[in-house]
Amino acid sequence: MMFPNLFSPLKLGTVEVKNRISFQPHLTNLAVGNLPSERQMYYWGERAKGGAGLIITEEMSVHPTDMAYEKLIDVYHPEVIPGFKKITDYVHQFDGKIFAQLNHNGQQGDGSISRLPVWAPSPMPDVLFRETPKEMEHEDIEEVASYFAKCAIHVREGGFDGIELQFGHSSLARQFLSPLTNFRGDEYGGSLENRMRAPLKFISAVRKAVGNDFTLGIRMCADEMIPGGLDLGQVQEICARFEASGLIDFMDLSIATFYNLYLVEGSMHTPLGYTIPLAAGVRERVKIPVFCTGRINDPVMAEKVLANGQADMIGMCRGLICDPFLPKKARDGRMEDIRYCIACNQGCIGRIGMNKTLGCVQNPAVGREKEWGEGTLTKANVRKKVTVVGGGPGGMWAAKMAGRRGHSVTLYDRNEALGGQVRTAMKGTGRDEFGVIIRNEKDQVHKAGVKVNLGAEATAEQVLTEKPDVVIIATGSLPKEHPVGGADGPAVYNVWQVLDGQAELGAKVCLIDYDGHHRASATAEFMANLGKTVHVITSSLFVGAELGPTQDLYLTRQRLLQKGVTFTPDIAVMEVAGESGAKTVKGFNVYSNQWQEWGPFDTIVLAMGQRVDDSLYFSLKGKVAELYRIGDCVAPRKVDMAIWEGHRIGREI
Amino acid sequence: MPYKNLHILVLLREINDSRPPARVTARGAGISDRGLRRVPNPADLIALEEALRLKDSLGATVTALAVGPGRLDDTLRLAFSLGADRGIRFWDHGVEGGDAVADARCLARIVAILAPTLVFTGHRMQDRGDDPVPALAAATAGIPCITAAVSLALKQQGVEALRKSDRGGRQKVEAPFPCTVLFDEGETPRYPSIEAITRSLTAPIEEWDLADLGLPFREVGAIGARLATAEFGLPRPDPVRVVTPDPALPAFERILSLLSGGIKAREGKTHHLGAEETAAKLWEIFREEGLAQ
Repeated sequence: MMFPNLFSPLKLGTVEVKNRISFQPHLTNLAVGNLPSERQMYYWGERAKGGAGLIITEEMSVHPTDMAYEKLIDVYHPEVIPGFKKITDYVHQFDGKIFAQLNHNGQQGDGSISRLPVWAPSPMPDVLFRETPKEMEHEDIEEVASYFAKCAIHVREGGFDGIELQFGHSSLARQFLSPLTNFRGDEYGGSLENRMRAPLKFISAVRKAVGNDFTLGIRMCADEMIPGGLDLGQVQEICARFEASGLIDFMDLSIATFYNLYLVEGSMHTPLGYTIPLAAGVRERVKIPVFCTGRINDPVMAEKVLANGQADMIGMCRGLICDPFLPKKARDGRMEDIRYCIACNQGCIGRIGMNKTLGCVQNPAVGREKEWGEGTLTKANVRKKVTVVGGGPGGMWAAKMAGRRGHSVTLYDRNEALGGQVRTAMKGTGRDEFGVIIRNEKDQVHKAGVKVNLGAEATAEQVLTEKPDVVIIATGSLPKEHPVGGADGPAVYNVWQVLDGQAELGAKVCLIDYDGHHRASATAEFMANLGKTVHVITSSLFVGAELGPTQDLYLTRQRLLQKGVTFTPDIAVMEVAGESGAKTVKGFNVYSNQWQEWGPFDTIVLAMGQRVDDSLYFSLKGKVAELYRIGDCVAPRKVDMAIWEGHRIGREI
Repeated sequence: MPYKNLHILVLLREINDSRPPARVTARGAGISDRGLRRVPNPADLIALEEALRLKDSLGATVTALAVGPGRLDDTLRLAFSLGADRGIRFWDHGVEGGDAVADARCLARIVAILAPTLVFTGHRMQDRGDDPVPALAAATAGIPCITAAVSLALKQQGVEALRKSDRGGRQKVEAPFPCTVLFDEGETPRYPSIEAITRSLTAPIEEWDLADLGLPFREVGAIGARLATAEFGLPRPDPVRVVTPDPALPAFERILSLLSGGIKAREGKTHHLGAEETAAKLWEIFREEGLAQ
C-alpha cells in the first residue's frame, strides 16, 4: 500500500469513515424545485463509487430568509426526506458515508430570489451581494436555531450519517463570530463569549434534535484574511471553546470570506496545499479530527499531510470533481491513470458563479453521471475505421473515447507532440499546470489503442486514401488579426507567437487586449518577466475582464501591478501606425468618444481572440461517409467545449 | 553459610519485536497476532543473568517462570541452556484478558507456592515500558519490591541494592528476604554453549494451570479484571510543525505568507542561450538537482 495513512479509517463521532478522503461541500446547482434531485444522487454516488470515504453534500438552506442561490435545497420542508433517502441509500451501497451540510448564509446573499430581507447580526452589507440586511431580533435568532434543529431532524430521517454546520467563509454563524460583521451591543455582540452565543445556540439546538448518537461537526473559517476580521489566533480560541462545549465531533475548515473569494477556491496561481499551515494551526489546539482542504489534488501530498499530523482528514473537492475515481486509483497504485485537477476554475466555480450547473473542463460527465458516469460506455456495434485530425484536447478525447469503444482509431497531429494549443497556453506565466491536461490524456489515448501519427500534416487526399468510415476534424483555431490599418507587418505579433518564442520583442511593448482572459494577461506577465515595459490597452472596463468567475482577477491584477504593467481601459483601438521601434496606437474612449494616441512602442502584441482553422473540413466535406468537426475549428471557444465535443462524438460514432 | 538454600525465581516475559509493523485487530481491541515476532524481554534476561551469577558464586537454585501459551517454552529452554535449574510455565485459558491486578493475583500465588528467597525480573518491557504486575504481586504477597535496580549485593538477612533515583541519582536501599528485585541494568547475559542448548531441548518444563494455583477462576482473567478494554487505536501523530501565519501580521502579509509558502515556486528561471550553451547549462542544472553525475 502506497498510502497507509490516507487509507486508514477514521472515527468521526459515531461514524467510522473508511479512509481519509472527504468529498467536500460545494454548490452543484443540480437541485430541482429546491428538492434533492436524481442528478445529485448520481453525482455524489459516483464519488462514493470512486472510493471517497466521506461525502459532504452541498450547503442546504435552513430558513426561508436564506436563498442566496436559486437552486439550493430547502431542508426545512419535510418533502426533502424521500429524496434524501434515495441519495443516502445510493451512497451507502458503495460503502461511503454521507453528511449533510446545513447553512444560513446571513448577509452573504440577497433577497432578490426569496423576496425577503436577508438577516444578519448587524445591518452591514456583504461586499459581493451589497444588500443591507435586517439586524436580527432575539426572536429571529431563536427562530433560526429552531429551524436548524428542524432541518437536522429531516437530515437524520433522510438517512444521512452526520451533519456539518457551515460556520465557514459564507455563513450567518461566521458573521456572528467576526468583529467585521457583528456590531451588536446586546448579549450577541462585543466580547468573544457574546459573539459565540448565537453559533453555540445553533449547535446545541441541532445536538438536542439529533441526540448524542449522531455525528455533528462544524466547518470553521480558519482565517478571514481581512483587516479587522478573525485571524488564526482568534479562530484557535473559538475552536477550542467549541470543542470544550462537547457538542461537536469534528472540525472542518475553510478560509477567507467574500472579500477575498480567490482564497476560498485558490486557482492554479496559488500553491498546492496553501491552507495546510492553517489546518496545522487549528489542530495544535483541538483534539477532535481536523480537516484540511485547499488544492490538495494529489494522494502523495494528502498522505504527507496526514503523516505529518497536520490534519486528520483530507478534503478534496475539485480533485474529485475532475476524477471521481482518484481514491480508487490511488489505492490500486494506478497513479498514471489519475486525471489531476488543474485548478483552472472554469468549469466548477466559473459556471456555478454564473448560476449554471456544475461542470468540469476535464470531466464532461460531471452532473451527468447517470448517462456518462463510470460503466456507461458501451462497445460500438460496428467497428469503424476512424481518423481524427488534430491532437489537441478535443481530438485526444474523441480518439480516446472512440478507441475505448472498440473502433480502430488513427490520430494525426501536425506537431511533434500531442496537446494542440494547450502546449502554447501552458507557457503563459503561472499557467504551466494547464499542461497537465496533456499529461492526463496522452497515456489514455495510447491505452485506448489509438494509433498516433505525430508530425503528420494530414491532407484531404491522404485522409481519403485510407478510406476511413469516420473522419473527425479537430484542427483548432489560429490567432485573429486586428482589422484596423497598420496592425500587421514587422514588430506586430500575436500572443501565440510571443509565448512560443517566435516574436522579437523590443523593450517597450503594447498589448492590445480584446480577449480579457489568460491569453492576454498571462502573456503580459510573460513579457514583464522578460524585463519588458508592458502597457495594456483594452476595450473592457478593466484588464482581465473574463477572469472574475474563475477567481483569477485579484492575484493577476496584483502581479501585473507589481511587475510594473500599466493599463488603459475603455479604448477601441482604431489604428496602429509608425515604423518598427516607434509604433503608435490610436483609438477612442468608448464612453467619452475622445481620441487618444499612445506610443512610441518597439513592439505591438495582439490578443484579439481566435479564428477557425477549418480548411481541411471543407476540403473533405461531401467526400466521406461520416464527417464531423469538433472544438475550436467549429467556433473558437475554450478548452471545456473542445473536450465536451470530443467526448460526445467519441461516444456517438 | 548464610545463603544456604538460596532460591531465586526469575520471571521471563515476552515482548513484541518493535521492528515489523503491527496491525490493529478487526475488533479494534488489540494488536493482530499475524506477522508479529516475539522475543524474550531483554531486561528479564539481565535479571536471569544476575540470578545465574549468584548461582555460580553461592550455589543458588534458579527457577525460570513464564506465564503464557506454549510458545513460551522456547524462552524457558533458553533459560535452561543458560543454567536455570527448573522451568515452570503457567497458563490457563481462564487467565486470558486479565488486567494487571488480576495477573498479579496469579503471580503472587505462584510466589507463595514456590516461596523463593528472591524474585527477579526486568524493570521495563522493551515494547511498552513498565509492567506493574511484578510490583503488584509483591504488594499482594506483602514482600518488599526494589524497582529500577542496577546492582545487588547480598547481606546477612536481606539484600542491599543500588537503584536509579531522581535526576540520574543513585539510591542504596536495603530489604529483608524474601524480596522482589526489578532490574533496569545489569550484567550482559551470557551465551549458551551448544551442549547446553542440546540439553535444554529435553529439559522438563513443568506446566501449571489454575488448579495448581488453587485460585478461583472469578478472581483472574477477564472476569477478575477491574478494567474493561473497550477499544484500541493508535494515537494520532504529533504534527510536524509548519509556520502558521502570524495573527499579528496584517491580512495582506498573512495572505502573502500562505501563497508564498507553497510546495513549489510557481515560476521557473528563463535562460536565453545558444544551442551549445543551452546543452551545457542543462547538464549543470541536472547535476545541481542530482539528476546526473
